[in-house]
Amino acid sequence: MKNPETFDHRPDPELGKALRAALERSDTSAFVARVMASYDRALEQATVPTWEVLASWFRPGVAAAIVALIAGFLFGRVVLSGGDTASIEMAMAPAEGSGGGGGLTALVTAPDPPDASVVFTSLVESR
Amino acid sequence: MERYAAQARRVARAVLGDPDDADDAAQDGFLSALVKLAQYDSRRPFGPWLMRIVANAATDRRRRRNVRRAEPLDPSLVGGGPRPDAAAVQSELGDRLRAALAELPERRRTAVVLFDVEGYSHAEIAGILRIPEGTVRSEVFHGRRRLRALLEDWKEQGK
Repeated sequence: MKNPETFDHRPDPELGKALRAALERSDTSAFVARVMASYDRALEQATVPTWEVLASWFRPGVAAAIVALIAGFLFGRVVLSGGDTASIEMAMAPAEGSGGGGGLTALVTAPDPPDASVVFTSLVESR
Repeated sequence: MERYAAQARRVARAVLGDPDDADDAAQDGFLSALVKLAQYDSRRPFGPWLMRIVANAATDRRRRRNVRRAEPLDPSLVGGGPRPDAAAVQSELGDRLRAALAELPERRRTAVVLFDVEGYSHAEIAGILRIPEGTVRSEVFHGRRRLRALLEDWKEQGK
């Protein structure tokens, strides 16, 4: 043991050993296991579950598919329904009247936006 | 983590006294260190960086000591200690040292433990406790005086 009144700049091994014994707990591995379990729990809480990520992708996908289905249904209905050609022709009248065979040009240059069915019909007919 | 677990627990116990509170604080320190690991500068020694986090966690816990109680360790995981007779003698000295440590101001007892038990330099302790190096020297000196006197008494009693 060193002189208690000495201003010593080196560690005191005897005092250090006694203090270590006084402060030590023997169950280090149990403590480590506890900390790691706690860390794993914290990680689980901090991580977004995979299904939530997939669900977040799924919702806009479903919405887009529904919109596409509705659009496809409406388009198919317009194209395939033979009895409705009169209404299509009526709708196309402004475009046809502006320049005969230049239907597409008329559609593009018309001051008012054309009806969607007119656009589809003109595309189909041009083929 | 195995390497620093015992050290972190001792430092936390030096701050808090209560072993269960100390384990909670050491655990807080480790978790905090794992979160902040990206901030660690690998050119500097790891021990002082970790001990600063642990000491801060222990100080924080001391401030809010009664808010949350310690999560008990699984008894099946706890290892055996020394023989009962040796344990009794060791325990008596340990009790005295812990009581003496508790009488010291927190910064003083932490400085003594970091210096004499954990072997950190004055400069490293200054970094851990965020105090000037000269203050560390003074704290260690005054802390040791009380503890050494107690240890001398113990030896004179022939224990």
